[in-house]
Amino acid sequence: MYSDLVHALPNVLDFSNFAAVVIGVIAGIVVGAMPGLSATMAISVLVPFTFGLEPLVALGLMAGIYNGAMYGGAIPAVLLRIPGTPAAVATTFDGYPMAQKGEGGYALQVAVVSSAIGGIASAIALMLLAPPLSKVTLLFGPSEVFWVAVFGLASIIFLLGNNVIKGLISACFGVFVSVIGSDPIYGNDRFTFGQLELLDGISIVILLVGLYALPPVIDLLEVPLKTDGVSGSKLGTEPIWRTLPRMGRFWKTWIRSSLIGVWIGILPGAGGSMAAFMSYNEARRTSKTPETWGNGEPEGVAASETANNADTASALIPALTLGIPGTAVAAVMLGGLLIHGLQPGPMLFRENPDIVFGFMWQFLFGAILLIFLGGSLATNSFARLLNLPRPLLGSVIIVLMLIGVYSIHGRMFDVYLMLGFGAIGYIMDKLKFPLPPVVLGLILGGFAEENLRLALRIGRGDWSILFANKTSLLLVALTVSVIVGPIIKRHLASKKDDAKRAGR
Amino acid sequence: MRKLVAALLVTGLASSPALAEFPEKPVEVIVGYSAGGGTDVMARTVAQFLEKELGEGASIVVKNMPGAGGQIGFTEVSKANPDGYTLGTFNLPAALALTKDREADYDVNSFTYLANFVEDPNTVVVSASSNFETLDEFLAWAKENPGAMTFGLSSLGGNDHFSANMMAAASGAEFTLVPFKGAAMARTALLGGHVSAGTMALSQTTEFKDDLRVLAVLSEERSPFRPEVPTAKELGYDVQMSSLRGIVAPAGMDAEITDKIRAALNAVNENPDFQQMMAKQGNPMAFVSGDAFEQLAKKQDDVAQAIWDETPWK
Repeated sequence: MYSDLVHALPNVLDFSNFAAVVIGVIAGIVVGAMPGLSATMAISVLVPFTFGLEPLVALGLMAGIYNGAMYGGAIPAVLLRIPGTPAAVATTFDGYPMAQKGEGGYALQVAVVSSAIGGIASAIALMLLAPPLSKVTLLFGPSEVFWVAVFGLASIIFLLGNNVIKGLISACFGVFVSVIGSDPIYGNDRFTFGQLELLDGISIVILLVGLYALPPVIDLLEVPLKTDGVSGSKLGTEPIWRTLPRMGRFWKTWIRSSLIGVWIGILPGAGGSMAAFMSYNEARRTSKTPETWGNGEPEGVAASETANNADTASALIPALTLGIPGTAVAAVMLGGLLIHGLQPGPMLFRENPDIVFGFMWQFLFGAILLIFLGGSLATNSFARLLNLPRPLLGSVIIVLMLIGVYSIHGRMFDVYLMLGFGAIGYIMDKLKFPLPPVVLGLILGGFAEENLRLALRIGRGDWSILFANKTSLLLVALTVSVIVGPIIKRHLASKKDDAKRAGR
Repeated sequence: MRKLVAALLVTGLASSPALAEFPEKPVEVIVGYSAGGGTDVMARTVAQFLEKELGEGASIVVKNMPGAGGQIGFTEVSKANPDGYTLGTFNLPAALALTKDREADYDVNSFTYLANFVEDPNTVVVSASSNFETLDEFLAWAKENPGAMTFGLSSLGGNDHFSANMMAAASGAEFTLVPFKGAAMARTALLGGHVSAGTMALSQTTEFKDDLRVLAVLSEERSPFRPEVPTAKELGYDVQMSSLRGIVAPAGMDAEITDKIRAALNAVNENPDFQQMMAKQGNPMAFVSGDAFEQLAKKQDDVAQAIWDETPWK
């Protein structure tokens, strides 16, 4: 089962394939460091361009960018208290106070080492779990896949936070987009308005570029960001081999945060920022000195940065084995695979083992490279990059987006479609509607419908086929627990409060 | 007087057949599917050899216009100027079948049929772990249990679907049709045991010889790729269905240009290098040129129409 993994290694070490990872990591760190530019955006802009590249070069770039961006977000988070990506918000809590105390250099070193550890853990999880899972998922027929999709839709609840209504509206919008096009069984047109270009449905890449890349770029042009950079003395960087021993005490946090990150990555719906918050809270809760947290506790940086890198490769576990991506980034990466004619699912591991296992290696190398590349980039001169003229940056990105989207199918229709989604994304952004539920609604809604109808056809209209085996029942149980769990928890919490009040 | 002569000369030049010069600009071949797929690879292989046959300086550009099951590309070809500079790939029965179940801006008469290159026969295939060893066993069980035999298809309204319908008609059995999104998904479902059988094209089974058992191939003669597999016809069910890929141009093309391109495509087909390259790509060849290709298209059109009339799938 794992021999393919070893077979794929030489190919990954091929010059161009390895160079792609290096370039990806550097580009990822830069993108991640730019406030407003996220990994999802960078990869969605990139995907259409990878069409002409060898698959492993394209995937290497993506793996590198993903790893790099998840760390890069920490640089402005520590130095300027501006999270470079949403996933780096929790990094600001202790990273910025450290920088103010003159320990910015150490904070960045903690961030880079933790990010690398998280990334390595995630890559190893992908390598160990995906191959056996791919064997199991062959046994997932339409009814099981239907339940996986329903489970995923139910876990959107995790994403909603306090804004349940807005989140649900976002998710419903996504599900609505999923029904555009010909229906999966009979091919009847739905909401196509006679446009042949809409018959195949809305391409996830076009939606993502519009939704995730355009609004931040408009933001980039709208809001001038003024930073004074950072003065050298504040960083106080020491050589990393001298600081490493001081990090030894974080080992528990590293393990815990890696596990949290990997788990959150596998779950459909949640992503890096959620992993970072959860692991930060857990680490603080178990800390012996919770009072130092928020005032420059390096362990806080370690917790957040480990977790936001630990969800990267693991998000690909359901994506590669079932074709159901766990995060928006994983969804774009699936788009990248599809562009290269690689159909995600159990057969991918059999038909293209060199590519799929090579991709896993690239995640591992991307994470390891972080230590070398991230360490040398996290300097003051790099922080000045943030002062690049933003209008220039914004216009370059817009041009890349337009060319990229056009080149997928070679038609202007897609460009207009992308701009339309961009406008919708911009408005949603301003009205504080969350974007991830849209993406998940689109992907999972489509999956749920198609597989439900296939299952019912196989069962000749008998609904009991949906509950015909143990896997289905297990998935139903998981779905119920995801929905009911939080309600019970809230109920118990309010009871506790009542009890407290009564006791007073 | 001089002016008149000049004018005559100019009009004379302008109206002289473009043939002598054809092609004086790049020829476009429109492919209705994404780059890298079977049709695209065929188009690029043919283009490479056709360029040489059309003479010095000829250049051929393959343009992918994927979408709507190929309909966007087929429509584009049918509407193009029939001057020989726009050709297109043509997939049978798909291109004509989709004119039955939805509105299309073209029909069987919208094209000048140049040459068909590939014919990939459909099959009746089960998983290697299936109890059915022969087509007769398989059909006997299906007849005893009407509707219990599930067939995984790549879609409704394509050659997979027509194969299942024609097998049902020929044998009197009743199948439950399960249209997946594409041939690869249908095959995965068959391998996972979620459907009992499939009708996928023979080329789809080649990489899965150990996992799939092909009970019959739906062609006139046994395939050179799998000579051990009997045809349905030998077994007493006269069913032929396949996926055909060829090259067409818009209808109403000048006869001389048509002849020139047909001749060039004939020459391409006779080139042993071309044959070798196509074989290497796993393409079962069935070269049909000119009027015979047109007849073939009309026959396919009738088959699709008949199935649509009898059992509309939408």
